[in-house]
Amino acid sequence: MSVSTTARALLAEALAMDAHALPADARIGALEQWDSLAHARILLALEERIGKPLDAAEAIAIESLEDIAKVLARRG
Amino acid sequence: MQKPQGRPINLTTERFLVRSVTPADASERWCDWSGDPEIMGPLNVAARRMTKDQLARYIAGFDNDRGYLIGVFTKAMSQHIGFFMVETNKLHATANFNLVIGDKHYWGKGVVNEVRAALLDEFFDRRGIEKAFGTPLARNFPAVFNYKAQGWRLEGVMHGQCKSIVDGSRLDQYHFGLQRDEWRVRKGKTS
Repeated sequence: MSVSTTARALLAEALAMDAHALPADARIGALEQWDSLAHARILLALEERIGKPLDAAEAIAIESLEDIAKVLARRG
Repeated sequence: MQKPQGRPINLTTERFLVRSVTPADASERWCDWSGDPEIMGPLNVAARRMTKDQLARYIAGFDNDRGYLIGVFTKAMSQHIGFFMVETNKLHATANFNLVIGDKHYWGKGVVNEVRAALLDEFFDRRGIEKAFGTPLARNFPAVFNYKAQGWRLEGVMHGQCKSIVDGSRLDQYHFGLQRDEWRVRKGKTS
């Protein structure tokens, strides 16, 4: 599975959405489902996926589907 | 001797009543929040249930001048769901924002930014504050989300700033800031 597909699946699950319904430019502020609790679910799922905690600089930078894919590419 | 009291906060938002609390607002419900690790843990505060008397004394320590303890109540039922603690520094015209939403039914419902927007207006426009700041733990992901979503600026990462009450490890905190002029510009863009 490609990094972008994994990122999409991870985000879709955290937002309780169909992965196909996620726009390519999904980001905070553009999706109603991406609220504060969903944000926590996303980061925790990402940590579970990469097998270690995100550091503070990484965690703060995650604002979009693309950002999730970047972390997975770097650390996944 | 009783400390001189400032002007209590009394605001209304779309869904909430936001007002300075008094010792009469101490309740078993609020005491329960203080003993709930799921509520206190993200703040790195030990969950130890306060008694109503202890809570009333704690509330009485806020003077609505340097320190504010501000309750969030539903408009519909006047149910208390959380509170903000705001500490001001008059010399530097700053306000340090902290908050707890104790009623878990309201987590993820946009309460924080709805109420904080009204408080920012109040402190910036009517209480002489020129800069607000907040320092959530880096692991408090929902709080961090809210600061970002509301347009606060990340001013720094404080590495190992405090010690975990759970395991003694060093915890990172973010420093978010928002200046009065930034808020006004942001409001102009979003309103």
